[in-house]
Amino acid sequence: MRFPCNVLRPLNGLDSLLAWLDDRLERSARGPLRDGPTAFLLLLPAFLIVGAFGILPIFSSIHLSLYGGQHGQGPFVGLGNYLRAFTDDAFWSSFLVTLYYALGTIPATMVLSFAVAYGLNRLVFGRGLLRTAYFLPYVTSAVAAAMIWRALLGGEAGMLNNALAHWGIPVQRWLLEPRGVLHLLTGGFVPAAVGPSLALCCVMAFEIWHGSGFMIVIFLAGLAAVPRELEEAARIDGANTRQLLRNVTLPLLSPTIFFLLIVSTIKSFQSFNGFYALTNGRQMPDTRNLVLYIYSTFYERGELGYGAAVAALLSLAIVVLTVVQWRFAGRKVHYE
Amino acid sequence: MKRVVPHLLLITGAAFTLWPFVWMISTSLETLREASTGGVGVWPESWHWENYVLTFRAAPFARYFANSLGVAFVVTAAVILTGLMAGYAFARLRFCGRSVLFALILGTMMIPFEVTLIPNFVLISRLGWYNTYAALTVPWCANAFSIFLVRQAFLGLPGDYFEAARIDGCGHLRFLFRIAAPLVKPTLVTVGLFAFLGSYNSLLWPLVVTADDTMRVVQVGLMAFSGDAGVRVHLLMCASTIVILPTVALYFVAQKYFVESALGAGIKG
Amino acid sequence: MPDSDKLNAGTWASSRDEVDMKRMMTLGLCVLMLNLGSGCHRQPEGFRPINPDAAVFWSRQITESAALLRAMADDFNATWDGLPVKVEQTGNYGEIFRKVSASIRARTLPAMAVAYESMTAEYIDAGAVASLDVYVNDAEVGLTAEDLADFFPAVLDMNRFQEHGGAMYSFPFAKSVLMLYYNLRVLRAAGIEAPPATWDAFLDQCRKVTAHTGAPAYALNVDCSTIDGMIFSMGGEVIQGRETRYDSPEALRVFSLIETLAREKLAYQVSPGTYDDQVALANDQVAFILRSSSGRENMRTIMEDDDAWGMAPIPQADPGHPATVLYGPNICIFSTTPEQEKTAWAFIKYFTSPESVVRWSLGTGYLPIRKSAADHPDMKASWAAWRHNRAAFDCLAYAKAEPNVKGWQQVRDEVARVETEILNGLKTASEGSADLKKAADRILAGR
Repeated sequence: MRFPCNVLRPLNGLDSLLAWLDDRLERSARGPLRDGPTAFLLLLPAFLIVGAFGILPIFSSIHLSLYGGQHGQGPFVGLGNYLRAFTDDAFWSSFLVTLYYALGTIPATMVLSFAVAYGLNRLVFGRGLLRTAYFLPYVTSAVAAAMIWRALLGGEAGMLNNALAHWGIPVQRWLLEPRGVLHLLTGGFVPAAVGPSLALCCVMAFEIWHGSGFMIVIFLAGLAAVPRELEEAARIDGANTRQLLRNVTLPLLSPTIFFLLIVSTIKSFQSFNGFYALTNGRQMPDTRNLVLYIYSTFYERGELGYGAAVAALLSLAIVVLTVVQWRFAGRKVHYE
Repeated sequence: MKRVVPHLLLITGAAFTLWPFVWMISTSLETLREASTGGVGVWPESWHWENYVLTFRAAPFARYFANSLGVAFVVTAAVILTGLMAGYAFARLRFCGRSVLFALILGTMMIPFEVTLIPNFVLISRLGWYNTYAALTVPWCANAFSIFLVRQAFLGLPGDYFEAARIDGCGHLRFLFRIAAPLVKPTLVTVGLFAFLGSYNSLLWPLVVTADDTMRVVQVGLMAFSGDAGVRVHLLMCASTIVILPTVALYFVAQKYFVESALGAGIKG
Repeated sequence: MPDSDKLNAGTWASSRDEVDMKRMMTLGLCVLMLNLGSGCHRQPEGFRPINPDAAVFWSRQITESAALLRAMADDFNATWDGLPVKVEQTGNYGEIFRKVSASIRARTLPAMAVAYESMTAEYIDAGAVASLDVYVNDAEVGLTAEDLADFFPAVLDMNRFQEHGGAMYSFPFAKSVLMLYYNLRVLRAAGIEAPPATWDAFLDQCRKVTAHTGAPAYALNVDCSTIDGMIFSMGGEVIQGRETRYDSPEALRVFSLIETLAREKLAYQVSPGTYDDQVALANDQVAFILRSSSGRENMRTIMEDDDAWGMAPIPQADPGHPATVLYGPNICIFSTTPEQEKTAWAFIKYFTSPESVVRWSLGTGYLPIRKSAADHPDMKASWAAWRHNRAAFDCLAYAKAEPNVKGWQQVRDEVARVETEILNGLKTASEGSADLKKAADRILAGR
């Protein structure tokens, strides 16, 4: 294998600088882990910034979570704030909403986005335009998007209700409906308080619509890295589309899928904008996730210590989930 | 026939994604009465182009745009660079504490932004950066998402590339910047795109770390149209349209890089 | 790198990682201890001004009122030889609160900021707000007894915090009252000529309109202040000490009314946080909405026809003893330096002078908070221009403020929740009322 850019070509300015640096770094390296100096140089800028604005706040917020009172100026309470969270109904109900939301949005968004990206990737006509169209939900102003969605769902005379009336389906209150979907679907057999509410499901639908713009872009970038030659070779060998997908495309895409799984889980646990835009920040227990709950303890009540404790618990939940995913899904990832 | 069905499906789907966007533009050309009461139709009764003039008068948008675009470009360039370097280090280098450091970086993604806001503001204010461009840019010049994404892309590259380069006497840095970076171009474009969007769409942070209009950004301009007793929907949609245009244009340019397999182009022989 | 080395590196890396993990954890613990250490001897250090060269005023991001506020600050600066006042637009209330919260942690604050009572209550707890009593009562820079008597009582009362010995911690900024907006086209079509004066008449008219149109007559915006206003108008109170009165007969009558309206499909709920009820009124879909008086100009724009609608005091249990709810944000002064505080107070005094009060009201649609405004020629001219311009001002004399106790923001959320549940038929009025009383009292007791 030969590279277009290798030492055989005359060195230009940047090349010689890099070569000189490489040389210095290699000479200063010792022991079996000889990449250390290079790694230090490569990681330094990222760590300066992430360290100051990402890692330090972790420690300061853990510190804050040990204090009670307003604005973290109360007495030292140790783990009191954490214990309080465990006995707080609002905490648990928000936690449940967060879970429903993650389960309701992540798989659906991933499947839908993959299908669209896969389709877009093999389009012949209007590729650029359609790609842009599918990205628009992600950049369209949340205010405009929320207004459209509320017009669709909102009020007794919302468009969706009018359309469903043709099929004889009774008027629904959609975003204003705190009763569970299961309760509504089973005609009251399941208690109203069980399962996600209809309002929460509307927020989920909004997120699937909005979040797919993000995932499609990443899938497209991943698909672009799948060599066409491999697919063509497989086709010549007589593989049909399904076999091709299962044996060539998906394995090659697995780092991307793994990345999206991890990132979208984190994003889903932290989602705020969709909830906030559709409900205008009104705190109804059935559409209040943990981040909204943290937001209100922080910024409506000024209970910084308690809010920080809830945030730490949220982060802990995400960490646990990520580690589990890393262990189980990470094994299936196919790296070259 | 086989070609037609996916096309049709994708076009129908696109109608759903485009609708709010079209609605936003058409609403921006209506009167306040029509905009507030018109429902979800997308054809104005009469066209009021003067709304755009009114919008530009409502806030110093020229200054806002200059600030937003300047900040977003610096952030984008910096995120691509820091992401490329750190992502490569985590994917291809062996050094002490690699997994711990990577876990720490990932850990920063797990903390809700609401929580980091206050410590970061305190830090900015201790550094004396309140109401400066440094406060708007520096905290966003590197992030876990980008590092992670680039790392995944490098892990996806065949390992023998690097071996071949090493045999040719190519060091890590030269390999990274001259050979590896072009190979993950779609990923770098993606990273850049999201960095740009993240910076350009931010509202709360700029509002908190800046004091006055000379430092403010476009998203703040969108707030000028909401009042205690109603929203001036038509002007808000004008402003939203103007504000979104650069991101749509940027994406339209960027999406071309997703077309060809960068990998295929990189290999010879 | 030869292959054998690579293998070595692999095994090495994992064992090294473990060592490193321990090192990182020790480091993390050290950082934590350092933090804790610094936290132990935190002194009650004061707040520094965020801008030492000006008295910064964090206000909202609304174009017209902000332009007027700036103009008024300029006029003030022209006559004032201390620090200049600088108005900085800082987003909406949520963002102002977050910026102040962050600034309290950073120990730097502006001279003053717009704040609702619940926000001020939190700032007071952080020791960040200056009591205004010293300034109000000061012989030189304070207000005279006549001045004080010129303000409508409720407008000042809502700034006195009972939990802090009744001290005044803020001053009125933009005030409005709850009003009934009605659509005359819809009412006349149903054979009704005038808006209702009592809640019984209101229910009756709703039934007539719905019978005529086949659609709900009232677009209902779920909101705690509206509920509180309705309870006031029934002759009730919302709070007594630190216990709420949401189980009082008056409150129960309000919830029963809402239950009836929902059961008979006379009212429907609009999406929270939107102005869809205004839209429905403008589109002749409903006859009534209950909203703040500050919505007048917006309503006028989307109604287009001044003769087709009007504003009236909200219906009452006893029109002889009316009451309604007063709301709107205030200004609070932060404890920074004497110079900053003095300037801030001087500005507030200027801003609430008889002339300024009228100028602010005419420019923004908020109510003039002084009785003397009624005699001002500009005010009279505005009232003469349209008969409904005066309606809200006449309610000021009997408007009541909502509680400003700690934790009230959370109680507001509970009220909205219970109101929604009653509208949905999930709870009856009496269940809702009892549940709300329990939940609200628990919140107030817990704080």
